[in-house]
This record gives sequence, structure tokens and C-alpha cells, in this order.
Amino acid sequence: MAIAVRLDELLHARRMTLTELAARVDITLANLSILKTGKAKAIRFSTLEAICAALECQPGDLLAFDPVLPAEE
Amino acid sequence: MNTTSTQALAIARPIIQGLTALNILYGVGIALLLSTSFFMQGWPEGPLGFDLVKMHPLAPLGLRVIVVIGIIGAVIVHLILQRLLAIVDTVRDGDPFILENAQRLNVIAWGVLVLEVLRLFVIAIAAAVWESGRLGGFSFAPWLAVLMLFVLSGVFAHGARMRADLIGTV
Repeated sequence: MAIAVRLDELLHARRMTLTELAARVDITLANLSILKTGKAKAIRFSTLEAICAALECQPGDLLAFDPVLPAEE
Repeated sequence: MNTTSTQALAIARPIIQGLTALNILYGVGIALLLSTSFFMQGWPEGPLGFDLVKMHPLAPLGLRVIVVIGIIGAVIVHLILQRLLAIVDTVRDGDPFILENAQRLNVIAWGVLVLEVLRLFVIAIAAAVWESGRLGGFSFAPWLAVLMLFVLSGVFAHGARMRADLIGTV
């Protein structure tokens, strides 16, 4: 998919682990892992809101459009 | 799921398997009867005990055509039962809302439709060679069932697509 998820970079910049984020946003580690590895097909506004609140960032900081990435089938 | 549905699902598998065995027996039986009819001396008056040709000159041919329709019907019923069994198995496995089941339901709907058309052929043949002009046996209920099956398969397909969308949503 041409949408890149920059969760890894954001977590690294804030010195936070995925497990810590999972505890803060009340989303399972498995689901956050799916999001982080770019395997998610869609993201709920509520998930986006919770992650942005926890990481003090904007949705645009988390998601980016990258035309180089292969489009979804 | 209520108790009645759970009980129905629990007995569905052995019932479908039993019906499949009976249907195979029926199909093989009438196929044997049809093939025997070509070699039997004095068919059909011998086995029937009366001369069918006196009723209508095409009555023996009509009888054979009905038997052939019966064999085709048995094949279609077999295909329907196999798909029904596959649907029941997906319920037992815990994941019935898949596109494959929608396709199976669609095949079942087409199967029931063809069976109903074949039934009309049998009625028409019987009306032509046995009871001239008497075209009885038509019922709206099977056609309503066919319509319901097509609608259900459409609903199932839509639901399965919606569910597929939800998988991978975080």
C-alpha cells in the first residue's frame, strides 16, 4: 500500500516502546504491531486519536503517502 | 445462537450425509432401471402389468425421459448436499462468514432453480402422455425458496466482504 506508517520513527524519537504505547492507548500489542509493520488495511479514527494523544503528534506525522510503495491489490 | 439452531447444526451433518447416501442409492437405482429397460423383453407392459402404449403411443418414451430427468435431478441434489455440508462444516470450524459460503449458497440457489424447472418438465411430460391436458402440481413455494436463496447468497456475499474489510482494521 502506498500509505506508509511512521510509528517506528515516532516511538524512537520519544524513546517509547510499542508495549508502553499499547498500555497508554489501550490497544492490543498485536494490533499496534500490525499497524507498525504496515500490515493494517485500515485505521479507526479512535485509534488514530489515541495514538496521536499518546505521542503528542498529528495524524500527518504518523501517516504518509509514498507513491514508490506498491499499491494495494 | 439459540438452542434450536445449535441442535439443528449438531444433527445437520449426519442428516446431510444420510441424505447424500440415499440420493446416491436413488440415482444409481433409477440409472440401473433405465439401462435394464433397454434389454428387458416386453418393457414396459411386463414389469408394469399393463400396456402403457395403449394409454399413449409415446408413454414409454415419456417414462424414460422422466427417469433421465430423475438422474439429472439426483446429480443436482448431490451437488446441493455437498455444498450444504461444506457450509455446515465452516460453522463447526467457527468461521462461516466467508465469500466461499456465499458462492456455495449461490450454487444451491441455481441448483434448486434447475430442480424446479426439471419438475415442470416432468409435469408437462405427464400431462402430454398420461393425463392429457391436466397440468397440475404447480406451487409458488419452491419459487419463493429459490428467490430467498438468491437474496440470502447476495446478503451473505455482502456481509463476507464487509467482514473482510474489518480484518486488518486497527
